[in-house]
Amino acid sequence: MEREIILEVRNVTKTFGSTIALTGANLKVERGAIHSLVGRNGAGKSTLVNVISGVIEADDGTIHYEGTDVTAMSLRERQVLGIRLVTQHASIVPDLDVAENISMGLWTKNKLRLVDWKRMYEKAGEVLEEFGLSINPRKLVRNLTPVEKRKLNIIRALFGGGKFIILDEPTTSLSSEDRDNLFYFVRSQAEKGITFILISHYLEEILRVSNEITVVRDGIVSANMGGIDTHDKLASLIAGENVELVRRDPGKNPAADVLLKCEGVSAAFLQPADTKVHKGEIVGYVGFPGSGAREMCCLLYGLNPKHSGVIRIDGKPVEIKNVGDALKNGICYIPNDRHTDGIVGIMPIDENIGLSNIRSKLKGFFGFLNLKKERDIALRMVETLKIKTPSVRTLVNKLSGGNQQKVVLAKMLSCDPRLFILDEPTVGIDIKSREEILGLIKELTNGGMSVIYLTNDYGELLRIADRVVIFNRGHIVGDMDNVGLTPERVIEIRDGENFLSADNDNKKEMAV
Amino acid sequence: MSTQPPTDTNANIGLNAGFGRDRIVKLLLDNSVWVLLVLGTAVFNYLSPQYFNPFKNIQIYFNIPMQSAVMGVLTIGLAGTILLGDIDLSCVGMMAVSAAVGVLLFKTFHLPGIAAYAIIIAIGTFLGFINGVLIAKLKTVSLIETLAMNTTLTGVVLAITRGRTITVSNREYTWIGQSKAFGTVPYLVFILLIVYIVMYVVWRRTALGRSFYAVGGNAQCAKVSGINVDRTRIAAFTISGMCAGIAGIMLSAKMSSINSVFGQTYGMDIIAAAVIGGTSLQGGVGKVAGILGGVLLINFIQVGLQVFGLDSYFVQMATGLIILLAVLIDSLRIRFQSRI
Repeated sequence: MEREIILEVRNVTKTFGSTIALTGANLKVERGAIHSLVGRNGAGKSTLVNVISGVIEADDGTIHYEGTDVTAMSLRERQVLGIRLVTQHASIVPDLDVAENISMGLWTKNKLRLVDWKRMYEKAGEVLEEFGLSINPRKLVRNLTPVEKRKLNIIRALFGGGKFIILDEPTTSLSSEDRDNLFYFVRSQAEKGITFILISHYLEEILRVSNEITVVRDGIVSANMGGIDTHDKLASLIAGENVELVRRDPGKNPAADVLLKCEGVSAAFLQPADTKVHKGEIVGYVGFPGSGAREMCCLLYGLNPKHSGVIRIDGKPVEIKNVGDALKNGICYIPNDRHTDGIVGIMPIDENIGLSNIRSKLKGFFGFLNLKKERDIALRMVETLKIKTPSVRTLVNKLSGGNQQKVVLAKMLSCDPRLFILDEPTVGIDIKSREEILGLIKELTNGGMSVIYLTNDYGELLRIADRVVIFNRGHIVGDMDNVGLTPERVIEIRDGENFLSADNDNKKEMAV
Repeated sequence: MSTQPPTDTNANIGLNAGFGRDRIVKLLLDNSVWVLLVLGTAVFNYLSPQYFNPFKNIQIYFNIPMQSAVMGVLTIGLAGTILLGDIDLSCVGMMAVSAAVGVLLFKTFHLPGIAAYAIIIAIGTFLGFINGVLIAKLKTVSLIETLAMNTTLTGVVLAITRGRTITVSNREYTWIGQSKAFGTVPYLVFILLIVYIVMYVVWRRTALGRSFYAVGGNAQCAKVSGINVDRTRIAAFTISGMCAGIAGIMLSAKMSSINSVFGQTYGMDIIAAAVIGGTSLQGGVGKVAGILGGVLLINFIQVGLQVFGLDSYFVQMATGLIILLAVLIDSLRIRFQSRI
């Protein structure tokens, strides 16, 4: 079926100072389509959608929307026409309720020009019903689930007259069920004639939901390629080369010495749990926020106060009261949110990498910082981790997402970890960087380092983990070797009412 | 693929041309305070050569560091707290209380001058420490906490002096504010330089200084990286108190007296000097040299305006306008940096 072109981008070029973000980009989007943009971090996807939505101005080229030239229009003018950008960080106010968030800026007013609250709630109720979302309009947005927040964000854009919605990574940190749920919603809106541009790093979902896929690479938009049907094909198109997926070495001996042992360890949102990590092992943790998996990671790193239980390293009990204690014991942690927890954006790369060592390794004469050593470590890390940067003095917020994550990795690796805890380190990172990071993790375990790897991407998990520990509602509900596991099975165990851990432990003891 | 990649040569030429110009602009904006100082000198020189031509009247260029000394020492302490994304509004109060108590003890018990100095620095340091603990451990907001502290301390000085002026004319106390080291450099300027050199080393070359930048840049990340954020904040406020104590010695020795409005003219100027010197109120950005430039600039302008015979009722207004100008340049710099 031939559909009408709603948006056409012709020959758009954009440079930032010395960096070329887009060169001669062309894009055609059909009405009612879900059009996906894929590409590595820093490839130019965000620049492209920012140019379309009017956040930034193109240096050259034209943009036509519904036949009109919108190139010279401001963000506001384009919003009136129906172009909306829904960003990763939901632009909703957590302390207002659902109805207030929907009506924000479009308040229903009474004769006195004051907000007509009664009508606002009625209208919000209607809108929610219309979009098939059953939330109480008086509920505080803070108390919504992540997927409800994302949907609300889209509804807000639609309510304000949005007809052309750009979704920038809408599914980051959502579970696979929630992703399906969100896409079902997006698709139902697309069927009603709303057009979507979707940016995502999850290739499976892109292949599943989009009508068309456009690959952006190094600022070049390779418009409307047909025949991309497999994950691997798409992956190699994005990377510009074939990407080999990292897999664990099968048959690795899991019966190595135990490095870390937790006995009845508990914390807020974590019931007393027993678990252990062997030397050179990659333990995959599965669990959504609130399931106890992240709580366990933070506890081991000294960020989460322990309520009870004993942590043993090499059999000896250790107290981990703060991050300093954890680092001294060789426990390192890559946080989930690199922007808030991982990097100081306005600091250069070398100082970021040195941060965790300023009171240990980098102390020189009379306690002064050994700046030369700091620089040397940074240079070495930039080389081994292939961090793409003009110099080690470059500010970290000038780097692309994947490279920023590598800086966080470098900071922790320079502390000589024995146990490396990674909390969803590949979220929002392009496939090439992701595989580089996974490959590095695998390599490090060959050198005897142990890894706890928290992820909710089951494909990734099962590819790389030696053992899988599954958390739900504060309990460990499964702890098994990664043999013959499938994503479906993992979900089954996660949601199963019968807690398998006890069962499994018994079996293990019998085997021993 | 349908689209051709850009040829490398083109890209590179564009790169280099852009890079060179951008770099010069960036360099100038990064050091805008020094650019303003040079510009100011040139303008003043043009308007009033008999006073500002360095070949005819070098004396005025020696006076400015002397004028700047007390304010400079106060400012660098304050700047450390701004670097953390906090602020210390109690600098003047801490300076006045520590100096008042020290002078009274000196006069009452006929202490040696050095002992009085030590007491003054100790009181300032202690008051700063209290600020730090209240802010870091009890999580009070620094803006309000130090504002309350300043009001309290100003009240304490008022109570001690009862609105009168306490004079201290003994050379054993005042020498530091009135004589010159080796007969050439005033001790006040000497102290200013030493304090700035020490702070430069602390900020750039110690774990503490690095922690200042990290906590100011992203406190949460600093914590996750193993930096003791609370201790860092306490340290910054303690240093601010210590600097206030040192400034208290300098000013009371220079004036040979303490009164109830001791040092209050510095209140806003020190914040302005820190910000003009490139310290970001959001935290995480700031250079010791820039701050020194900010202090010198404000004093230069004030001295200049007085030399021109500008009615003293207008000096404050003019200072305010200059600060506005500097803040505008700063926001330009931020916009320029986000563009590249």
